[in-house]
Amino acid sequence: MNTVKKVLAVVLAAALLCLTLTACAQGASNDPKDTLIFAQGADPRGLDPALVDDGESSKVIVNIYEGLIKYAKDSTKLEPCLAESWTVSDDGLTYTFKLRQGVKFQDGTDFNADAVKFNIERQMKGNATEDMPYADFVYGYVTKVEAKDANTVVITLKDKCTPFLYNLAMSMAAPMVSPEALKKNNNNVNEAPVGTGPYKFVRWDKEQSIVLTRNDNYWGEKAKTKNVIFRIIKDNSARVVALNNGEVDMIDGIDATVVDEITKAGNTVDQPDGMNINYMAYNTQSSICGKPEVRKALSQAINVPELVKSLYQGYATPADTILPSFVPGFSKDIKQVAYDEAASKAALAQAGVTTVHVITYSNPRPYNPATGKALAEAVQGYLSKVGVTCNIEVFDWTTYKQKVKAGDFDICFYGWTGDNGDPDNFMSLLSDKDPSMNVSRYDNAAYLDLIAKGKAAAEGADRDAIYAQLEQNQVDNSVWLPISHSKLLSAYRPVVQGYYYHVTGNIFLSGMSKTK
Amino acid sequence: MQNELDAVVNEQASEVVLEKPESQLKEMWFSLIANKGAVAGLVIILLLTLVAVFGRFIMPYDPNYSDMTISFQSPSAAHWFGTDQLGRDIFSRIIDGTHISLTVGISAVALSLTIGTILGAIAGYRGGKIDTVIMRIMDMMLAIPSILLAIAFMAALGKGIDKAVIAIGLVCIPEYARIVRGCILSVKENDYVQAARVVGNKDFRIVFKHILPNVLSSIVVRATLGISSAVLDTAALGFLGLGVQPPFAEWGDMLGRARGFIFSAPYTLIFPGIAITITVLAFNLLGDGLRDALDPKSRKI
Repeated sequence: MNTVKKVLAVVLAAALLCLTLTACAQGASNDPKDTLIFAQGADPRGLDPALVDDGESSKVIVNIYEGLIKYAKDSTKLEPCLAESWTVSDDGLTYTFKLRQGVKFQDGTDFNADAVKFNIERQMKGNATEDMPYADFVYGYVTKVEAKDANTVVITLKDKCTPFLYNLAMSMAAPMVSPEALKKNNNNVNEAPVGTGPYKFVRWDKEQSIVLTRNDNYWGEKAKTKNVIFRIIKDNSARVVALNNGEVDMIDGIDATVVDEITKAGNTVDQPDGMNINYMAYNTQSSICGKPEVRKALSQAINVPELVKSLYQGYATPADTILPSFVPGFSKDIKQVAYDEAASKAALAQAGVTTVHVITYSNPRPYNPATGKALAEAVQGYLSKVGVTCNIEVFDWTTYKQKVKAGDFDICFYGWTGDNGDPDNFMSLLSDKDPSMNVSRYDNAAYLDLIAKGKAAAEGADRDAIYAQLEQNQVDNSVWLPISHSKLLSAYRPVVQGYYYHVTGNIFLSGMSKTK
Repeated sequence: MQNELDAVVNEQASEVVLEKPESQLKEMWFSLIANKGAVAGLVIILLLTLVAVFGRFIMPYDPNYSDMTISFQSPSAAHWFGTDQLGRDIFSRIIDGTHISLTVGISAVALSLTIGTILGAIAGYRGGKIDTVIMRIMDMMLAIPSILLAIAFMAALGKGIDKAVIAIGLVCIPEYARIVRGCILSVKENDYVQAARVVGNKDFRIVFKHILPNVLSSIVVRATLGISSAVLDTAALGFLGLGVQPPFAEWGDMLGRARGFIFSAPYTLIFPGIAITITVLAFNLLGDGLRDALDPKSRKI
């Protein structure tokens, strides 16, 4: 009996060993140089660009699909992609796109004007289904799409809307999906994505990984690395460990607390400014902050660069403008109200301001990882030095949004993460009729006029100048105190060449390679 | 007549249940100070009370003054416990927090003790339907995790020290109600209680004059231990961001916001943690000591 057991044990051990060896051998036969591994914190919701709205989906989508227009590598300036060129009629209502010729979807379907028409009509009013979160945002203005010839598409809008071009570069709703694939999959390619991009879909093991491989028929420069794996590692610290072990090549979804750990292991942390703004808003309808001179004096009391440096420990850039520096329309000539404690104290004493009612949120936000509470307390500290007491009320995010909408406050804290890289997407916040968007309840005739002009003006320097004027208008009236642009943190191993994390929070892997 | 009879009953009660009160107290005191842990706990509590009352005179800095240029300073001669994210002196904030922790701890226990004792006394003495109704409500409260219940109360009441006292106080009521009810059930059939009833005492008088003094020791022990759990609950609420409104210093709140800097600035986390631990430990030691001292069975002869 005993010998039987022993023999069994030996056989089992040998079998196990063989299994391990073959597994290793299989691993070894694939050159690690040929596979880029990117680890993210959650499974994509899906891979059909019309049906998702989350960043985790977006990162995979941009490697499989392309839109008519794309963003430049380091900004949100527009560049041609599947459309080689476009013209806008003088009345600003008709957009004519000349499409790139000879492009095929990964399933062999031709990319042409009919495919574009199919994709847009799928998401237009009437056809768009409930589960298309960005359909209205991107195509809400479109009234008609015509395929003039195989390579010309004419889109008609109901109103002037220059941001429409920026919408077409987004990773949601705008990327072109193979019409054949959509027909075959019942109008939902969440799990069978087919685009024109540099990588094509191979396999998706839910909650584990997504495997892509090079599209050898790609129209442009072919991807440098043959395979791409998106690994799902939920736990933040486990993801950092995986990177430091060399198990994965790139990660995102990290915060400032792990930066040291990553750099100590010899890896690099990438930290461009994100497409966001973290700001303090004055309620222009409150009895205290209704006066521009009071708002200015309160702003003067706060040393923003010092505050940002200490609160965000270098992982945010002090904001002088509402627009991040890479968004068209950004002007480096705009400067915020300068820090001047003495002037502030005098002005506030003269205006008789002794207490202000401040509301804030208790949780971290993407544009404010330090939490609204810490930010409010920092402001409280500065204002106490100029003789103003802040009564701070802290709420959880859901309650906070209701409180902001209700408007019973002098100062509140808020932020914005851009959708499409268009300046209007940021600047129109202060013109919105909805107080949950325009939390300052700012209502300025000159500002509203400029916003309307900006929406209608054609792409270019003239339009950019309008947004500089809008920024100046905001500074002159001290409606907000822009605080910071939070950085996007991601990290990669030194073997990765050509790494870049786009300001929209996407990662384009086709230009990256590994040295070993 | 009533008073005379009372005196007789009391005397009888003392003879039955207790020895002479003074000698019992004395004996208890000796037993307590013979317990090193209890003495240590008592000394720490006295020190904490002094700090809570006179803390403002020994604070090196204004606990709410923030200087953003010196955020996250490691402990040094200028800032013994370092500075936090907003450049506030952690040592001063911990001293300031003593006041809040002790106030909330003691007031919450006082609240739950009062209400719990009354409810428990009524339930235990009256029995019957009243007992069932009261105790089933208490059971329901006990069935919900206390911190969850406290969070629910805080959500309904809003933030602030007074609200924290109410939330934590309400949550602890069932414990006291059950203890008091149990004790009353065990003494109410005693002869001296019957005698008090026979001579025509009102129920109220019987409960407060004759019964409660005899269950006092269990309540005192429970209350002392209760303070330590109230301090812990306060810290838990603070940790979850439901405690005091900023900028007031509260240990749990300090701990909660320091959590994100555990690797980069561990001192922001360690010191409030130590403060909570020491306070809770002191009340636990004293509570244990009191229990031993008040329990005749465990007393050394």
